[in-house]
Amino acid sequence: MRITLVFILLLSYSISAQNYNFGKISKEELEETSNPMDPDAVATYLYKNRNTFYEYNQEKGFQLITEIHERIKIYTSEGFDYATKTINLYKSGSTKEKITNIKAVTYSLEGDKIESIKLKKNGVFKTELSKYYDQTKFTLPNLKPKSIVEYKYRISSPFIQNIDEFQFQHAIPIKKLEARFENPEYFNFKINTKGFLRVSPETTEGYGSIKFLNKSSSQSGFGNKSTNFSYSDVKYQKYEKKYNLTNVPALKLEPYVDNINNYRSAVKFELSYTKFPNSTIDYYTRTWEDVVKTIYESSNFGAELNKTRYFEEDITALIKGVSNPSKKIELIFNYVKSRLKWNGYHSKYTSGGVKKAYKDQVGNVAEINLMLTAMLRYAGLNANPVLVSTRSNGIPLFPTREGYNYIVTAVSLNNEPVLLDATNKFAMPNILPSKALNWKGRIIRKDGKSALINLYPSKKSKTIISMAVNLADEGDINGVIRTVKTGHSAMNYRQSYVPSNKEDYLERMENNYGGMEISDFEVKNDLDLSKPVMESFKFSKENQFEVINNQLYLSPMFFLTTKENPFKSNQRLFPVNFGHPQSNKYTISITIPEGYKVESLPKQKMLKLPQNMGSFKYHIASTPQSIQIVVNAEMNQAIVPSTYYDTLKQYFKTMIEAENEKIVLSK
Amino acid sequence: MMFRNMLTVAITFIAITTFSQENAHLSLSLDPALKKNANAVIRLNDIEITIEAQDKMNTKVKRIITVLNKQGNSKVNAYLHYDNTVKIKTLEALVYNAFGKEIKKIKKNSFNDVSAVDGGTLYSDSRLKYLEYTPVNYPYTIELNYETTSTSTAFLRPFAPLEGYYVSTENSTYKIISPSNIEIRKKEKNLNGYHLKKEGELHYTAKNLHAIKKETHSPLFVNFSPQVLFSASQFSLEGVSAAAATWTDFGKWMYNDLIKDAYDLSPETINTVKNLVAEENDPIEKAKKIYQYVQDKTRYISVQVGIGGWKPFNASEVDKLGYGDCKGLTNYTMALLKAVDVEANYSVVFSGSSQRDIEHDFASMQGNHVILSIPTNDDQTIWLECTSQKLPFGFIGDFTDNRDVLVVTPEGGIIKRTKKYETNESAQITKGQYTITEDGSISASMLVNSTGIQYDNKYYLETMDKTELQRHYKEHWSYVNNINMIKTDLKNNKTDIEFTEHIDFSASNYATVVGDRMLITLNATNRNTYTPNRYRHRKLPLKINRGFKDIDNIDITLPKGYKIEAMFQNKTIKTIFGEYKISLEQKDASTLSYKREFSINDGEFSKDDYQAFRDFYKEVAKHDNSKIALIKNN
Repeated sequence: MRITLVFILLLSYSISAQNYNFGKISKEELEETSNPMDPDAVATYLYKNRNTFYEYNQEKGFQLITEIHERIKIYTSEGFDYATKTINLYKSGSTKEKITNIKAVTYSLEGDKIESIKLKKNGVFKTELSKYYDQTKFTLPNLKPKSIVEYKYRISSPFIQNIDEFQFQHAIPIKKLEARFENPEYFNFKINTKGFLRVSPETTEGYGSIKFLNKSSSQSGFGNKSTNFSYSDVKYQKYEKKYNLTNVPALKLEPYVDNINNYRSAVKFELSYTKFPNSTIDYYTRTWEDVVKTIYESSNFGAELNKTRYFEEDITALIKGVSNPSKKIELIFNYVKSRLKWNGYHSKYTSGGVKKAYKDQVGNVAEINLMLTAMLRYAGLNANPVLVSTRSNGIPLFPTREGYNYIVTAVSLNNEPVLLDATNKFAMPNILPSKALNWKGRIIRKDGKSALINLYPSKKSKTIISMAVNLADEGDINGVIRTVKTGHSAMNYRQSYVPSNKEDYLERMENNYGGMEISDFEVKNDLDLSKPVMESFKFSKENQFEVINNQLYLSPMFFLTTKENPFKSNQRLFPVNFGHPQSNKYTISITIPEGYKVESLPKQKMLKLPQNMGSFKYHIASTPQSIQIVVNAEMNQAIVPSTYYDTLKQYFKTMIEAENEKIVLSK
Repeated sequence: MMFRNMLTVAITFIAITTFSQENAHLSLSLDPALKKNANAVIRLNDIEITIEAQDKMNTKVKRIITVLNKQGNSKVNAYLHYDNTVKIKTLEALVYNAFGKEIKKIKKNSFNDVSAVDGGTLYSDSRLKYLEYTPVNYPYTIELNYETTSTSTAFLRPFAPLEGYYVSTENSTYKIISPSNIEIRKKEKNLNGYHLKKEGELHYTAKNLHAIKKETHSPLFVNFSPQVLFSASQFSLEGVSAAAATWTDFGKWMYNDLIKDAYDLSPETINTVKNLVAEENDPIEKAKKIYQYVQDKTRYISVQVGIGGWKPFNASEVDKLGYGDCKGLTNYTMALLKAVDVEANYSVVFSGSSQRDIEHDFASMQGNHVILSIPTNDDQTIWLECTSQKLPFGFIGDFTDNRDVLVVTPEGGIIKRTKKYETNESAQITKGQYTITEDGSISASMLVNSTGIQYDNKYYLETMDKTELQRHYKEHWSYVNNINMIKTDLKNNKTDIEFTEHIDFSASNYATVVGDRMLITLNATNRNTYTPNRYRHRKLPLKINRGFKDIDNIDITLPKGYKIEAMFQNKTIKTIFGEYKISLEQKDASTLSYKREFSINDGEFSKDDYQAFRDFYKEVAKHDNSKIALIKNN
């Protein structure tokens, strides 16, 4: 947005950078061979400064200015990547972000002397990346291990509502970080802070002086018009937030983390309203209700949701004579799934619009699921869109419009919400694609009011495996196996099975099971989503038990045994995400070969995680002819907090030990 | 990777003669033989290249592809590179449904236009136009029509009617028109056994080529698929013209027009390196010092602009900036060596572990990477990878080993083979000790020494921090649970090119305790867990690119209070693919000595040998799980 009012802002600010002036590199810094706080660090930000503020310009109105100054010590050649800087500049038509004042220097120690090499103009590369982004890239010359690189630049942006997140933690440590954000009273922001490392700003309120240029016209008599200019001083309030951090540790990735950005320390300034002199307040966002309102009122959301004409004829025909609401839902859901193909784009807003999507049979997430919602409403059901943040988008901790990037549909059935996502052919009622299972959704009702809604299924996804095993010679086994899957487990199965070439699928499966040989392979209900998917086959596999001294040693789950503990690290900072609640049940029957008897059986086992998070039961019994094993492993919740990490690791260890325990048969 | 994309400069096309287009848009009538193993079917790929002059080439393409499933979408190849030399004159795409009805038409301006810079490149002036299309149903058919002009004629795309795995070809035609009397040379490869027809010297057609399924341990696709390579004997590259019909002439041209001028070191730099090697007389010792100097001073950064996609940065520029791409860094190293009177030659290669050869008998622009070769008196050429700060002198690893490359000398180009790492040279030798305690836990202490290609698999460990290293070993020995790492000492001996790992760890519940008995898997730290994939009908020959040899000598201390109930049988397996040998010997009441040798040889074998090869790996996996049983003393 552009401010047309004519006035001049005199901004005054100073960066407290006495010890960090550009080029003031010390010999000690250059001599340092590793970061004493983190000896493994390949590089360290010695100084990281960002200054973001508003500047008034007669021609362009307000501009958002961001000045960056960074000084990085590079310890080893693995850290060389930090000497290459990539800056993406957003653009929309001819409105563009611009970069200026690039200055970059490499410092190295040559004997006793500090050698500094400047980046030349022709070392800065500008590329038109796509319709929406330009890119500026440079890499520092003459780099060696132990070098220090330092650069600064200035970005001026006409997109004055969008303040890039201030990030306080990176993959390498930071020795000193200074960040500053200054806004005049005309722009009001909400501050959202996140991350494990808490930061709090030093806030200053002060006054600045605006030289105000007044323009007035006066008319006297007939056609005698004159324009008068006059200056007046107006005091305005300014707000300044300063962050000053020292020795920020590196943010390190751990396995099984959904999205590392959920844990990075950062501050986001979200514009909540603007109030310019002589004009009314323009609200942006402040609360979740405001966010929802903004999204709902967007022409690419609410208006699209209210369009019905394009499908009326088809839907009327589809549900003709059907009165059962559950049947209506099924018909409409399946209709949208088969008619529309998802084009791969996540969005809470439509792009080409629902009408075009319906006609072309292709659409983004918003088009497909808003259309689904509209059709359900048209059929007389209580359906509403639900805003979701996908896993890659992170957890929307604070009310921001960017917090959501996806839509699903909630429809009421017997006063219970049923969640639907028609972008995935194998999604089922209340079984959303895994990427959408993230935190909570926000349902928007017809009156624009919103509420949080649980996205995870209340029922566990089940995998039920029944296996009958015969022990053959020399450790080989053969038998039959039947697997039944429901919920997410069924969805995942169908996603990999249905589109595949069947012969390849079988070969891949054999190879995944370490060269097992499979015959009589059969899958049922792969396309009938209303029933559990069922797979059965005969198998034979070598080397599945030990024959020692006329005794047979076997782990009764054979190739289904969990062999590896997924949790190997000694400690963990972030929660563990299992994706969705699930239960796995194994019923195994082993025929005892002629002439053998049971020498010993493992003991029954029962394990429980605290807070009813999960349980493991292992039941074993035998007759002279056979051994029966029933194993039940349940995870009742998708996400386990890191405080339970040790417990969880121990639980898996005990579970694996139980599964690996041996039955001994003797002659 | 380090040359600009060759297709960029070489995309071409033309009109169809007597082909019925209507049928090509209909997917329902497809011959089932063409659908077998195929994700997409090339209904027609019609290419016509007109070389109007040494520096003017027109390419006209009509390409019709029926996509059978999701995996087939990538075969549409609906993208075109362009830059200062390649201009796109026309471009359109038409989409048809399974019944052959046109459902969408996409004009040139609706193609997305992006920079073709990939992740590894700082800057390139190459751009890309690509089509973004979401199929509504499968199968569907896309027709692409385009025409480009290029001022470069150095690359003539080959006639390669089979485009890769899982794609079949119904019709493919290819024609070069050369009204300017420029001589076009060609080389036919693997044409036997395919429905191919030579319609003229520079005019080929192919019909009904069935899709090939990808199989593990098979030869490189370009080494068995049909192709005809073409090259103009007079050509132009980004404004530089050349005449060359043999590797000798080609090499001369490259040397004189692309490389020679890039030698421009300052007198100061020449002095610096002369001083650096002042003490050395042996050229190899000099070269070692220079290589180290380059490794300390430079790093790999790729910048590709205009002729710079083919010609190295000047040595003085690399000297100033401290970075360059493979061409720049290789040329810089060569220049420094020349300054101290060591002969070295710029060498063009296809990089990557698949060992693709430069065609030894067909001179044309080939390769995607550059290395340096230093001739020696005993004819053991030394090869240098100049883009790495880590590799030891003379070590090229699997990135450029054992393949034909073009060595560019002032006297012309020569084809030479790079170093091959032999089975015995690529060794991993482990000396270790395990102690098993009464509760079944194990503590292990090992010294692992790796050379050759096995060094290549290990040296990167040096760059890991302690946490990453611990994670690496826990994953590496994933068949041992509850590992507690105690020591991970690494030594990278770059002089002898040996990597040594000293590792100590302990793990609880390693052995299985059943009543009075204990079962112990003897091999705790070097089990083969790999079994090559099973194929119901193996179609492609077996190719093993590299051999290796593992030797393990482990002393095992048994827990107190137990005696051996059952030992295992020593085992030796000899095959044409390699050997496996394990033995167990009781040293004293509580100590066993476990010895294991496992080697795989490189080589080419028939497809019928694949089953035996797979069985060998399976047997090894089985015996690596051999257990002994202990029983409590009463």
